[in-house]
Amino acid sequence: MSENALLIQQLWVGACLFGLGLVGFLSRRNLILMFLSVELMLQGVSLSFVSWGRFHGQLQGQVFALFVMAVAAAEAAVALALVLNLVRARYGLDVLKIQHLREEGLGEIPREVEEEEVPPPPPPSWPKLPRVGRAPVIPEEVLEYRPTV
Amino acid sequence: MSFLIVLVAGMPLVAALVTAVLGPRVLREASHVPTVTATAISFIGSLALLGMLLRATPAAHDAHSEEHVRTFERVFELWTWADISPSGASIERPVPHGTWDFVRFHIPIALRVDPLTVFMLVTVTFISLLVAIYSIGYMHDDPGYWRFYTYISLFVFSMIMLVSVSNFVLLYVFWEAVGLCSYLLIGFWYRKPEAAAAGKKAFLVNRVGDFGFALGIFLLWSMYGTLNFHDTIDPQTQEVFSAGILGTARLLHPEKGLIHGGLATVACLLLFAGACGKSAQFPLHVWLPDAMEGPTPVSALIHAATMVTAGVYMVARCMPLFQVAPHVLEIVGGVATFTALMAAVIALTQTDLKRILAYSTISQLGYMFLGLSVGGLVGAAAAMFHLFTHAFFKALLFLGAGSVMHATGGVIDLNQIGGLRRRLPWTHVTFLIGSLALAGIFPLAGFFSKDEILLAVAGKAPHSGYYQTLLAIAMATAFLTAVYTFRAYFRTFFGEERLPAESVGHVHESPPVMLIPLGILAAGSVVVGALLGPTRWVEHFLSGTTSLDAAAHLAGHGMVAHAGAIPWISLVLALLGVALAAGVVLGPGVFVQGIVAAFRAVGLYTLSYRKFFFDEIYQWFIVRPLAGLASVAAWIDRFVIDWLVDVVGLIPRFLGAMLRSVQNGLIPWYALGMVLGMLVLLAALVL
Repeated sequence: MSENALLIQQLWVGACLFGLGLVGFLSRRNLILMFLSVELMLQGVSLSFVSWGRFHGQLQGQVFALFVMAVAAAEAAVALALVLNLVRARYGLDVLKIQHLREEGLGEIPREVEEEEVPPPPPPSWPKLPRVGRAPVIPEEVLEYRPTV
Repeated sequence: MSFLIVLVAGMPLVAALVTAVLGPRVLREASHVPTVTATAISFIGSLALLGMLLRATPAAHDAHSEEHVRTFERVFELWTWADISPSGASIERPVPHGTWDFVRFHIPIALRVDPLTVFMLVTVTFISLLVAIYSIGYMHDDPGYWRFYTYISLFVFSMIMLVSVSNFVLLYVFWEAVGLCSYLLIGFWYRKPEAAAAGKKAFLVNRVGDFGFALGIFLLWSMYGTLNFHDTIDPQTQEVFSAGILGTARLLHPEKGLIHGGLATVACLLLFAGACGKSAQFPLHVWLPDAMEGPTPVSALIHAATMVTAGVYMVARCMPLFQVAPHVLEIVGGVATFTALMAAVIALTQTDLKRILAYSTISQLGYMFLGLSVGGLVGAAAAMFHLFTHAFFKALLFLGAGSVMHATGGVIDLNQIGGLRRRLPWTHVTFLIGSLALAGIFPLAGFFSKDEILLAVAGKAPHSGYYQTLLAIAMATAFLTAVYTFRAYFRTFFGEERLPAESVGHVHESPPVMLIPLGILAAGSVVVGALLGPTRWVEHFLSGTTSLDAAAHLAGHGMVAHAGAIPWISLVLALLGVALAAGVVLGPGVFVQGIVAAFRAVGLYTLSYRKFFFDEIYQWFIVRPLAGLASVAAWIDRFVIDWLVDVVGLIPRFLGAMLRSVQNGLIPWYALGMVLGMLVLLAALVL
């Protein structure tokens, strides 16, 4: 495999990671998941750094990636502390519940998506096995449609 | 000499500054000290200048000596006020007529000493000194004592500078400064609505004239390329570097040096418009009677020394310009004679003593301009002489009226006062002398100076029917002058004693500090005419002025009329006037009623009493339309321009309102914004 093709493949992977992270960041409402999405984007970028560094035979790419990881680690600590505080302040993890930095007078925007009414899952119905050694009792109506063996 | 003229001009300014700074806190009741001291020093300095001039111009008495020895003028350039020179230009030339080349615009702060200036200086400082002393008594318990003396000093300074500067621009500057001071002093009691209105009126009416004056100066600049009176001498070569408008170089041969023709006429008429405003000639005379709202010493100052004489001085200074311009002098004479007659007729029926005196000033100023309109040295000298004597007796009359006001608690309505001669003996005597002088009775000042003017007009009359008419009207005015003066005099001091309610308890003769100036002025009114009149001293003295010498040259000789019967006719007319006034006021009531009825029958009484309806006419045809225009402008300002401004102010609000909804506090929304912004940046990068 030529270096060119390898680079392109690596960049594709990085771009995919970045894109997935972006979509996740925009669409998720859970703070921790958003945070994870950001990490995903960071890793996508890091990957493209590394691959470019390899392509050019230089170390800067890897150095950058190391930096990104270090920063991400620090950031993770800070971000998790913040999240923890938010949770403790009873905001929960839903990002839509934190909209107090709004312009005065706009009124709270009811952006809370209605929780979809998820019907309670039916109680698990296990197959009722007949007792061992007995012929199964087949209801009449079932029997009617049952093809004759 | 340069020190003296700077001293004369500078002292009142110093006094004004000192009084303004120290007056309210330190000087208080002694605020008059700087002004009186400074004016006294100025007066002594002026006298010293006069003495030096008299020694310096012995040849002035000999009209046939060498031309350039005959006149005397010294110009002291203190510093350059404005100088705009084309680079590299060394010699400026007057702009040829009709071209607009860039020439050197050079305005030095230059003070001049010549007979005309010194004559004015002596008059102005003397009257101002006496008025300042008199005001110590008159204004003694006024809360604005220091303010009054600050303004007075500034007024005197402006007037001294007005007569001693040597440049049209500076003349205009101090012309305006005099107007400003008169505004401040007329509106001195600014809490009184009439006084504030009168000050405003004086200022605005003067502004009309000053506008013409400014245009005239512009025109002179475009005609001559300089605005200096004097010649600028190159210090190295001693050659004339730039010929001033009224400088020796140009006036040595005035026919060639001065620009003739229609443009000169327009320029002179514009200058005369300025003089009309300042010297209260028709149609700009309306401010002067209202100026009575100021303190009475201010009226004396304005009428005698520091304000209304400015126009006469300016025309006398520019006499050669007026003479080479065709038809101007005739117009001046017509306006002046009409003003004199009209003001005299108005003064006949007024009941306010100060207002009568104001109209008499307008009338006498008309006389002065009539004298000027004769042209030449004769006319200018007659006008200046009348200005001089008029300063004495008009200041005397005003200060006398002030003394009456002092006694009657500020009331000088002739219907409310009368028979005051026993209560105010000294005021009565001095007022009588002033009235006699104003009416032109024989041995007093007014007789001589008025006859100088009448003679000057008579000298021109044989050559033109126009001046014969003017002479006849002037004679009639002399008669009317005597009538209105003595009507006021008799009604104030004779008849049954009437005192207004305001005066109860303090009818008393004025203090000596007020009476002494009255006495000095009365003595002056008696003697100056007899001293200076028959010897024609004023004419001899003023002939040493460059511009008046040129004026005499332009007018030609042989203009001096023989005295003949004119003085006696005018004297008889004046005596008849006095007799008529005495008859009207003191005679049997039937006589008065008959005369009044006769006047009423022809409508003259109302016309005179309502001042020829000038105020009403101006109100209807000028003030009202202007006020209408102003209200339209105010409406446009309020509802169009303000609205536009408001609209501009609405734009940020509107944009903000649109952008506010972006700031909704939703974190995913911000994230989306960031992503979109990044996409836009990327797109910009790629494309």
